[in-house]
Amino acid sequence: MSLLSWLLPRKKPLLSLEQQQRLQQLAPAPPLSEKPLRSQRWVVVDLETSGLNLSRDQVLSMGAVVIEDGAIDLGQAFERTLQRPDNTLSPSILLHGLGPAAIAAGSDPVDALLDFMDFVGDSPVLAFHAPFDQHMLTRSLKDSLGYRLQHPFMDVAALAPMLCPQVHQREAGLDQWINHFHLQVEDRHNASADALATAELALILFSRARAQGIDSPLALQQRLNQWQRRKQMHGF
Amino acid sequence: MSKSDAFLQAGKTAVLQNIHGTMQFLQRFPPFNQMENTHLAYLVEQCQLRFYAPGESIIRPTDGPVEHFYIVKQGRVVGERTHAGREEAQTTFEITAGECFPLSALLGERATRTEHRAAEDTFCLQLNKAAFIKLFALSDEFRDFALRGVSSLLDKVNQQVQQKAAQTLGTQYSLNTRLGELAMRHPVTCAPHVALREAVRLMHEQQVGSIVVVDEHKAPLGIFTLRDLRQVVANGIEDFEQAIDLHMTPEPFYLSPDHSAFDAAIAMTERHIAHVCLVKDQRLCGVVSERDLFSLQRVDLVHLARTIRHAPRLDTLINLRGEIGQLVERMLAHGASSTQITHIITQLNDHTVCRVIELVLADKGDPGVPFTWLCFGSEGRREQTLHTDQDNGILFEAKDAAEAADIRLRLLPIAQQINHHLAACGFTLCKGNIMAGNPDLCLSRAEWARRFAAFIREATPENLLASTIYFDLRVVWGDERGCAQLRRGILEQVADNRLFQRMMADNALRHRPPVGRFREFVLERKGSDKATLDLKVQGLTPFVDGARLLALANGVEANNTLERLRQLVALDVIEALDGAAYEEAYHFIQQTRMQQHQLQTRENRPYSNRVDPDSLNQLDRRILREALRQAQRLQSSLALRYQL
Repeated sequence: MSLLSWLLPRKKPLLSLEQQQRLQQLAPAPPLSEKPLRSQRWVVVDLETSGLNLSRDQVLSMGAVVIEDGAIDLGQAFERTLQRPDNTLSPSILLHGLGPAAIAAGSDPVDALLDFMDFVGDSPVLAFHAPFDQHMLTRSLKDSLGYRLQHPFMDVAALAPMLCPQVHQREAGLDQWINHFHLQVEDRHNASADALATAELALILFSRARAQGIDSPLALQQRLNQWQRRKQMHGF
Repeated sequence: MSKSDAFLQAGKTAVLQNIHGTMQFLQRFPPFNQMENTHLAYLVEQCQLRFYAPGESIIRPTDGPVEHFYIVKQGRVVGERTHAGREEAQTTFEITAGECFPLSALLGERATRTEHRAAEDTFCLQLNKAAFIKLFALSDEFRDFALRGVSSLLDKVNQQVQQKAAQTLGTQYSLNTRLGELAMRHPVTCAPHVALREAVRLMHEQQVGSIVVVDEHKAPLGIFTLRDLRQVVANGIEDFEQAIDLHMTPEPFYLSPDHSAFDAAIAMTERHIAHVCLVKDQRLCGVVSERDLFSLQRVDLVHLARTIRHAPRLDTLINLRGEIGQLVERMLAHGASSTQITHIITQLNDHTVCRVIELVLADKGDPGVPFTWLCFGSEGRREQTLHTDQDNGILFEAKDAAEAADIRLRLLPIAQQINHHLAACGFTLCKGNIMAGNPDLCLSRAEWARRFAAFIREATPENLLASTIYFDLRVVWGDERGCAQLRRGILEQVADNRLFQRMMADNALRHRPPVGRFREFVLERKGSDKATLDLKVQGLTPFVDGARLLALANGVEANNTLERLRQLVALDVIEALDGAAYEEAYHFIQQTRMQQHQLQTRENRPYSNRVDPDSLNQLDRRILREALRQAQRLQSSLALRYQL
């Protein structure tokens, strides 16, 4: 990948034959289902990026864990650091701790992203502040693979206040929720550890959702949309 | 490497990175902190992490055979049993972070008997049965832990205690040393026809105090010691060419090399012998002398026992009392277990009582009627600590009431004198006047039998309380037959009287172990005992009461709580795993109590059974909590058995 490839519009990424085949075989993304929550496989994602600029910063590493059969399967996990030769040191290194050496030793972004999409399969994606991860991933996949990400994303940062209205935390971050539920996280700001923490939070929230009579991914998303609309209206 | 392999490989790396945190978490708890990293990684890799909301059921009896092993990662799980005829479920145990369940159901391939529920927001690591079995085969530490459940935790503490003692004293010896490691490699032996002179010459050459007479297969026929030589000389025998077998002590007492130094010390104390032969496969393989034990321990138990037994005056006995205290201190420091120590205290106390009786009889003259000195309560159960009350009585034989009254008149002054002398020796006078000098406790066999029958027939609160003291009766001095008959009578009547059993069960539930549903311990809230719990009343009494009831109801003659539990397991009244857990728990509480007493003595504080759990280290505290939970389980099983 050339240095400024992401700046050039409509430039088709160059993929090897094998990479193209893999791209073809990626599973399509179905809409959210009406089956019980427990039967839905979810992929919980956490990205470490070079910064928070949606149009300029890059995905540096991806961590993901799987919720299947209502539990986090510790035998299934995904983590890749992406090779970014053009990444310059920025203050966010203090946060994610990915030094130049780690990034130089990372995987080819094309392969890493293909591996990631293999891992995701046809599952919906959960993330804390999901719109950010969704945007960054969509852009990376488009730039590197020419792939259009259509998987539904659900935002754990929005689910949490909706399902736990008694918790008065405005704009609570992942750390606040981790503290609120006394979750034990051994290694924060490592992509897969953060994904694991987010997944634990999601398990608690799914349990709360079922207790409130919401028992399918679709119902959960609909309730979330309603809640967000209402919140916006009150905001005005 | 093909593409799919590379994919797999990369996935593995990710998994390893991801499970690292979970491994770090587990490594704070046994047995995971002792397992090999690869085994632990395998465990975590095979786990699912599940969340349970408060009140949510994790496993329950109706789920059928248990399919998973659970480790609590966060939160709290309670076990609940619903008893027939009862609405409310009873919490039988609590499991918190780092702890596992349900081991016995999983190993027994059955359904759990207890419903496990989350008590708060709880995460559990869930391991499938296939992986559990594989891990069971892979890891010795894990297998050990799974098989012994809480027991292996208790072992850890005992090892810790002994290591600490060994460090402070700079010795690796303990009373648990195998006799085989202690004894001389080549004991001095001779054939039965060897001349006395020749045998003594051998002893002299080898600088030993004994020679074992063996047959051609090395089986011991007798032992000849310096004491026997003194006897020979004192008897005026001049012909030292006589064969040794005429003068040896035949059929010498022996133990196997696998017995412990403690066993030998006890045997020497009981039998008044100074040498114990070691025999394996009917061949002599060593001799352990009193001196070998002394040099090992500097705990001159045997010597002390003998001095007590031959004390010429009461003053001597009173002085020896202090030495018993020092002996216990040393033994505890050497890592002797609470069972060993209570056993030894009981032995030495028995010797003291016997000697006091002999001295009083010598002083006051023989009353002319045979009598038996009984003891009750903890003394009867052989569970005395240094701080002990007198609980005793006298049993004699009489034709009728008139003769009984007559004998009683003759025995009472003697009994009262004995009580007073014992008090001088440190056996505090009993506040409830349960002493042989009390006319109500100096009875003929018929009178005792009538009294005991009344306890069982009329189950008033006073009678129930009395039965918890008197039914642990034991003979300290005198003929044992009368007491054995009394005990058989009690066992027969209790076995027939379901109502009495039920009342006793109710009585055994009075003292609830202080572990609660929400906190670690339920502690005293007010007064000077604030934030403490009573190790004796709240910890040991539930075991003592429970074991007594089950023993009496099932014809077990033993008095000692641990012995009762063992025999109840043998009779299938208690499951073997439960029995072992009760035994370890009882043992641990008793050990903690004795350490507290020692600490109090050292710091010149008054003696107390109360302990502040916060003053214990974390492991001890956790095990104490677990031990008290076992007491709770024993009580629940009684409640179930007697439908209370």
